[in-house]
Amino acid sequence: MLKPGLLLSTLSFLLFVAAIREDPKPVVKTAYRVETIPMPEGLSSETGAIAFLPDGRLVAAFHRGEVMIYEPKTRKWALFAEGLHEPLGILVVSPAELIIMQRPELTRVKDRDGDGKADLYEKVTDAFGISGNYHEFNYGPIRDKDGNLFIGLNTASPNGGVRREVRGALDTLAAEHPKQMFSPVSYRGWLLKLTPDKRLVPYASGFRSPNGLAFDASGHLLATDNQGDWVGTSPLYHVQEGKFYGHPASLVWEKGWRGGNPLKIEPSELDKNRTKAAVLFPHGILANSITQPVCDQTGGRFGPFVGQLFVGEMNQDRILRVMLEEVGGQLQGACIPFLDGQGLRKGNNRLAFAPDGSLWTGQNDHGWAGDRGIQRIVFTGKPPMDVYRMNLTPTGFDLTFTQPVDVATARQLSQYQVRHYFYEYHKAYGSPQFDVQTVPVLAVSISPNRKTVSLTLAALKPGLIYELTLGNIKGAQGEPLANKLICYTLNALKQ
Amino acid sequence: MRTKTAVARFRPAKRGLFFLFLWVITGKAQAAEQPTPVDSVAVDTVLTVSLKAIAGLQFDRVRFRVKPGAPVRVTLENTDDMAHNLVITKPGARQEVVNAALQLGERGPAAHYIPQSSAILWTIPVVLPEETGSVTFIAPAESGVYPYVCTFPGHGFVMYGAMYVTEGPLPALKDDPAVPENRRKADSPPTASHANHAPERFHPYEPAPPFLYRIFMPDASPAAIAVSLPHAVSYCWDAGTCRLRYAWQGGFLDQSKLWPGKGDTEAKLIGTVFFRDATGYPLRTNSSSKPPAVDFKGYQLLDRYPEFHYSVDGVEVYELIRSKENGNGLLRRFKIPNASGPVRFLTAPDDGVRYQASAGKWADGSLELSPSEAREFTITMTKRID
Repeated sequence: MLKPGLLLSTLSFLLFVAAIREDPKPVVKTAYRVETIPMPEGLSSETGAIAFLPDGRLVAAFHRGEVMIYEPKTRKWALFAEGLHEPLGILVVSPAELIIMQRPELTRVKDRDGDGKADLYEKVTDAFGISGNYHEFNYGPIRDKDGNLFIGLNTASPNGGVRREVRGALDTLAAEHPKQMFSPVSYRGWLLKLTPDKRLVPYASGFRSPNGLAFDASGHLLATDNQGDWVGTSPLYHVQEGKFYGHPASLVWEKGWRGGNPLKIEPSELDKNRTKAAVLFPHGILANSITQPVCDQTGGRFGPFVGQLFVGEMNQDRILRVMLEEVGGQLQGACIPFLDGQGLRKGNNRLAFAPDGSLWTGQNDHGWAGDRGIQRIVFTGKPPMDVYRMNLTPTGFDLTFTQPVDVATARQLSQYQVRHYFYEYHKAYGSPQFDVQTVPVLAVSISPNRKTVSLTLAALKPGLIYELTLGNIKGAQGEPLANKLICYTLNALKQ
Repeated sequence: MRTKTAVARFRPAKRGLFFLFLWVITGKAQAAEQPTPVDSVAVDTVLTVSLKAIAGLQFDRVRFRVKPGAPVRVTLENTDDMAHNLVITKPGARQEVVNAALQLGERGPAAHYIPQSSAILWTIPVVLPEETGSVTFIAPAESGVYPYVCTFPGHGFVMYGAMYVTEGPLPALKDDPAVPENRRKADSPPTASHANHAPERFHPYEPAPPFLYRIFMPDASPAAIAVSLPHAVSYCWDAGTCRLRYAWQGGFLDQSKLWPGKGDTEAKLIGTVFFRDATGYPLRTNSSSKPPAVDFKGYQLLDRYPEFHYSVDGVEVYELIRSKENGNGLLRRFKIPNASGPVRFLTAPDDGVRYQASAGKWADGSLELSPSEAREFTITMTKRID
């Protein structure tokens, strides 16, 4: 039988253990931590845009037209502007001046008297059409180093119509668009450039739903698009002036267009002039509806992926990472999940880096799969064990990891499963995978620093996605790999 | 909604036996827990349940009832703008199946995002927009709530409903945990009008007039601006055509249909329209009879009132609109600082209002102002009572 004293000391020992368990100092287990930002009561936080002021405050715009500023230090929100029509992009000019992309126009919103509330809403441009179709979202603006602004215009949905009264020129061919996204008013499906002297110039065509514009570290203009008709799986494009990216609806606004209804042109004809995606995100595998790309220029404050891109995804609790390289004079590369779960919600519609190097994500659903609110992802300082880079070689791929790998597992051929496939360019909605084949891995070699694994594949063919599934590869200290599925879009072979 | 008395609840027991009989004679009873193909069931005995995938990640019907053992054909018509599937699971297994679908990863597309699971009873593989899929089966003999769900990544958490296999009544929709929370109000999609309900709070603040929305409005271009003024007066100013389109009295807007959903919608006016511009274009800065070229420049807020800035044939115009003290009209203050010639303000008969002007001369319903008079003038528009 226990003596009371012993019982007591056992009890107090248990209490002591319990106290240790409640020690607030968390053990850092993961490289990234997800935090949820408290949202103001009464706000429908369908987040259309986020950006940072130079002082570290967040500015966010929401579906019902509010533009609000969040001070992370006090966790307080303040209203900056209101009444905007579906704002979907913010460019910060100064703490008192924003350029906001809303449904009818690109608008300069300014607080002139310094009371923290906007008092001037000045049109920057409205030289594009709106038909009233619900799907005519407008994206951007982003600014290049020469001061040009770029915006993107969504096509109209066949699930909606055209209002009796539209703004801008109306295209009569647009009436015939069975099951196709269409372009009833000027420049729907285009990316446009606004020059510093305020000319809005059509820049590139062929977009369906370009819900994400960004520049990479080298200043390449990038845009994402969404899977659907003419878009077999969601792409990331390297956008260059005058090029056509695949959705034909926009072509009707090509200067001097005489081709009739572009939706009726044979896909094989359109394909000849089409510029392919730099990176494809296999549908339902890596993403269903990708959104905003953002380039990591944090100098390492967000971990090791400096210069790479992070891309949001609507349908899953996921953010993706993209690594680009130039092969044969063109950008192509790989995508991989970056963060899955860990408290991250779905609907990651807008991404922005804060001055402190954390990555913020504005979430939205609005009738699609998603969530609402704002979260922030912080690098904890613990190095991730992940694929750092995937580079094409003449005979296969080099995989560089963020940390040395465990050689015993990494040298096993069975740890690398590769298959390839492609998505068809056609008018149907999405595409099945074609030419799905396993590609044998013939050889594996590991660099002296144990960070780069070179894979030799039985064959490499351009025009295919190479999907690599990594087995039990781990770090030299046994850390498991954070992400095991990576897809490389092979447009050009490496000589 | 269907209601039944307690007495009626017992009556179908005999019919239940009959269906059990039918179940046995179809020779499928040995697989009561398993998906059952029904090639052998005559078509005319099959109950067809038509479901639609509609905008907003939802099924148009969030529940339906079949009798135990009844032959059922479920069709899924996809009227949404993205692909969907339909998976009917064992009772209580929806979440488990949705999570299993998420784990499919790279195997998802080939599997139509449908995982291998003993909890899955029947499926309709991927249905693309504007296509229809179907599945025919014998309803389980066991009464219960059998969820149906789209297992596309991300859809399954919100896009679901329930097949009630029962002879009895369904629970009240408002308390039915088997249907998505936002669908527990009425047996129709949540786009139904709630105009008669107490005003919903739309913002983290309570907007006090004057305030505005840029929003899709009836009878205007898609670049409309709706402004709520004190004294229960509102107006629609069209940034697409740079003019006041109409004004109304009573309430402001009902956005309950516009804001929550996707699809073509517009705000609904609350109140009565008392003015509609019928001039084609009211301001003229030259003697041309053609409608002028206009260009919207923006607006500034003065004590929260928007002052619109635009140009009419190249001449800058500023316009600020207030409501009359008694709420029976509008005061429109114009500033045209640099007119090079006379400015005319046109009116149309039968547009609902009487006009007064602070400056200028009226002739035939048209006000003419000198360039200096045009620098600042106010037009009062009073609602006609005759």
